[in-house]
Amino acid sequence: MLVAPALVPTVAVLVAGLAAALAQSLGLVPLVGRPELSAQAYLDVRPDLLTATGLSLGIAAASSALAAGVGLLTALLVVRGAAGRRLLRFASAVPIPVPHLVGAASMGLLLSDSGLLARLVGDQGSWPALVHGPWPVAVVAAYAWKESAFVALVVAGALATRVASYEETAAVLGAGRWARFRFVTWPLVTPPLAAATAITFVYTLGSYEVAWLLGPVHPEPLPVLAQRLFTSPDLTARPQALAVAVVTAALALAATVATLAALRRTATWR
Amino acid sequence: MTGGRRAGGQPGGRAGAVLVRGSLLLWFLLPLVPLVLWAAAERWSAPAVLPQRWGTAGWSAAAEAGAAPAFARSLLLGAAVAAIATPAGALAARALAHGLVHRSRLVSALLLAPVALPPFAVVMGLNVLLLRARVPALVGVVAVLVVAALPYTTYVLRVAYAGYDTSYEEEARLLGATPRAVWWRVRLPLLAPALAGAAFLAFLVGWSDYIVTVLIGGGRLVTYPLLIASAASGVGNEAVVAVLSLTSLLPPLALLLLAGASGLRGRGGRGRPSPAAAAAPAREVVVR
Amino acid sequence: MTAALAVRNLGRDHGGGQAPALDGLNLDVPAGSCLALVGPSGSGKTTALRLVAGLEVPDRGDVLLDGRSVVALPPERRGVSMVFQRPLLFPHLDVLDNVAFSARVAGASRRAARAAAAPFLDLVQMGGYTTRRPGQLSGGQEQRVALARALAARPRVLLLDEAFTGLDVALREDMHELLHQLRAVLEPTVVLVTHDHAEAAALADSVAVLSGGRLLQHGDAGRIYTRPASVTVSRLLGGRNEVPGVVVGGEHRSALGRLRLPTDVAVPDGPAVLLVRQEAVVVTGPDAPGADAAGTVLAVRAAGARRALTVEVVSPGGAAVQVHAETSPGQVFTRGERVGLRLPSSAVSAVPPEDAGTEEPEIADRRTADAGRMPRTHRVASPAVPDAGVRPDAPGAPRRRNHHGDHGT
Repeated sequence: MLVAPALVPTVAVLVAGLAAALAQSLGLVPLVGRPELSAQAYLDVRPDLLTATGLSLGIAAASSALAAGVGLLTALLVVRGAAGRRLLRFASAVPIPVPHLVGAASMGLLLSDSGLLARLVGDQGSWPALVHGPWPVAVVAAYAWKESAFVALVVAGALATRVASYEETAAVLGAGRWARFRFVTWPLVTPPLAAATAITFVYTLGSYEVAWLLGPVHPEPLPVLAQRLFTSPDLTARPQALAVAVVTAALALAATVATLAALRRTATWR
Repeated sequence: MTGGRRAGGQPGGRAGAVLVRGSLLLWFLLPLVPLVLWAAAERWSAPAVLPQRWGTAGWSAAAEAGAAPAFARSLLLGAAVAAIATPAGALAARALAHGLVHRSRLVSALLLAPVALPPFAVVMGLNVLLLRARVPALVGVVAVLVVAALPYTTYVLRVAYAGYDTSYEEEARLLGATPRAVWWRVRLPLLAPALAGAAFLAFLVGWSDYIVTVLIGGGRLVTYPLLIASAASGVGNEAVVAVLSLTSLLPPLALLLLAGASGLRGRGGRGRPSPAAAAAPAREVVVR
Repeated sequence: MTAALAVRNLGRDHGGGQAPALDGLNLDVPAGSCLALVGPSGSGKTTALRLVAGLEVPDRGDVLLDGRSVVALPPERRGVSMVFQRPLLFPHLDVLDNVAFSARVAGASRRAARAAAAPFLDLVQMGGYTTRRPGQLSGGQEQRVALARALAARPRVLLLDEAFTGLDVALREDMHELLHQLRAVLEPTVVLVTHDHAEAAALADSVAVLSGGRLLQHGDAGRIYTRPASVTVSRLLGGRNEVPGVVVGGEHRSALGRLRLPTDVAVPDGPAVLLVRQEAVVVTGPDAPGADAAGTVLAVRAAGARRALTVEVVSPGGAAVQVHAETSPGQVFTRGERVGLRLPSSAVSAVPPEDAGTEEPEIADRRTADAGRMPRTHRVASPAVPDAGVRPDAPGAPRRRNHHGDHGT
């Protein structure tokens, strides 16, 4: 069994982690008191959970939409023989090895009310609260910055060998510029773009550090809410933290399954 | 029609294209500019667009905060994750690419599943089990991060194995190489770029992780990201944050340069290489 | 270094109860000679090569080098080298290190291995490319290096698996020339697989024709083209002329008239198909003396520098037959023109007709077969005589390229 060294730890960690999370959220593994099956934790955390879910979904949707748009544009410019493509290729590779945490930290230094942009604009009094403000602008910016590089990498990689020759063929067949994009490039680009965007969405939904460092103080995104409850001195909050974790995992899984189902319908996939 | 895109057709097209490219360059590069400025700032109070005094205060403050040992810990963590996840991923990838696995669709789905699950959710559940089983925090962190890295190593190496031509090994056997020699002199060198790429990704998982280390380590295992996070969540630490953030980019960059350099040396650096032939493998490595 | 190769009753099965990939193959290749395995795809020729190399394990039979069985040996200990259709140069090694690979894995130092490899690179005229990378060479150059690498392993037998198929025509002829030179210098035993019968003709001392995993005929390269054992072999070797008729007393009678068969064509009286290479047919004026038949040009087609003609000959009795001929570059013919045909008697042969729809292989070489056998009854029973006549018929001096004379160029 050559797959065992990879498969066994993966299955063990995932199954044990998710099962234990579910058990704890249902009151079966309390830190104090007797185990008792109940959905009390879900009910207790429900108000916060709903707003957090809305916020997290919003952040994930906005980040991945922005990342998809910027990434696609970058990939198209990098793949076609456009002027300055080497510089753009280099620039778009820069965020790849940058840890999310570092991206968040530098985005904070750029966008906070004492950040570089506010100083450049000069009028700090009217600078909107992008960091920790009611609208998670800095969070979305940090995710979109990092993930647009990822989307560009994936899409450019998928297109690199194919698009030029197909476009030339289409041009020979008399297709104009818009028609070439519509009937040649777009169908080729959709599967990798959708896959990369979906990965971005799922990652953003469940990622902690950016949302914690730059996100709104209230309401909190799902991972931040879960972590605050998890580390709360009030030990009865622990099942609520796990309830948030279970809901987040369920959302992420649902998004993954939906993407796979959509991708399976497109003919060019696999 | 080699260009595929001709901006000169309509008036203003060229200016528009330049604007688009300029905006994209700004988008990717601007967020790192404050890091560079802050790292070299001694004093840079609010309204000033550039630091009032340059200096290395941030660097000494970072050193005092324990940057060096945290850096070393994170290097080791990244190396450990890469050292485990790369060979395990290689074995799985080989088995999957060569069709040696029953229910291979299910197996690959399971191996890719960690990408689809929030790490904090899994680890919050796992934590109580690790505590009750008295698993040392470091072991738990490495185990979870290996699982998080396996989808990447498996995927990269599966693609590599799918494109790997076993005829090279047959040819080597016929030239007198024993199976052992084939492994060392043919298979390993031919798969080296993919192995390096997979190891790089696995290293990044360990090097940049924050939440898994926090949850399982309980704050006692202080890695570089923990240091950055604690500085960044405070106030007035901008210079320290910048120094820590910038230095955190060094190991990945060094690895990329190393891979690029050995790729160049290994594939056409000597003799009279054509620029195109020399550039191709370097690009491949950077892309991975 | 060179060794005689013998293959005894070699067989290899496909999985799942299909027909065997190779069935009961017997071949002898004298030391220093060159055998071409010819056949359509799926005929088992590549399987035969891989079994000799040790890349696959035979289900039956034996492979002997200088009389000693090597079936139990792994490929690296057989002393057999192979050049594949793709050069398969190791991309992580430069050209000279590729050629030095066999010495390196044998334990030589890098310096010594490279020093020993250099002459082989010179031999294939690639001496100036030692530090190039495989990706920096053209396809033909890569294949030359692959050949040098195979030879540097000092093989007892050199196997070429469609080694020149991927090259364009000019490069392929260069490689043929190179192989002739290498054979003159190193005298390796060579087995080459090709689906190109012209390549087999250009390179080999003897030719073995395979189809459906069975050996149909193994014969001297100079003669197998003019003495195919069956209509099937004739077709596999590119022969296009099949004239039905009867043999009576060493004479073939058909729409073409009466043609005396060469004395070494021993075919029993009765129905027989006259075979003659299109290259051997001489086209003359309609009334030229010595013409064996006269007919009308039905079609003219360019075939390289030459012309391929289809000529219809109508017998006095009204039976029509088409004859294919290739003419020299200088000759010009037009459709509808009357021409004469001369069939040099050394180039014609006759074989018993094959039943329509049956693919029963003929095993025996014509010249070693029993002259008195009855064609039909024999064909039904033919699998029972696997050994008859598969010996190479010209174990002596190589006679490469001498068949060109037969083709009347």
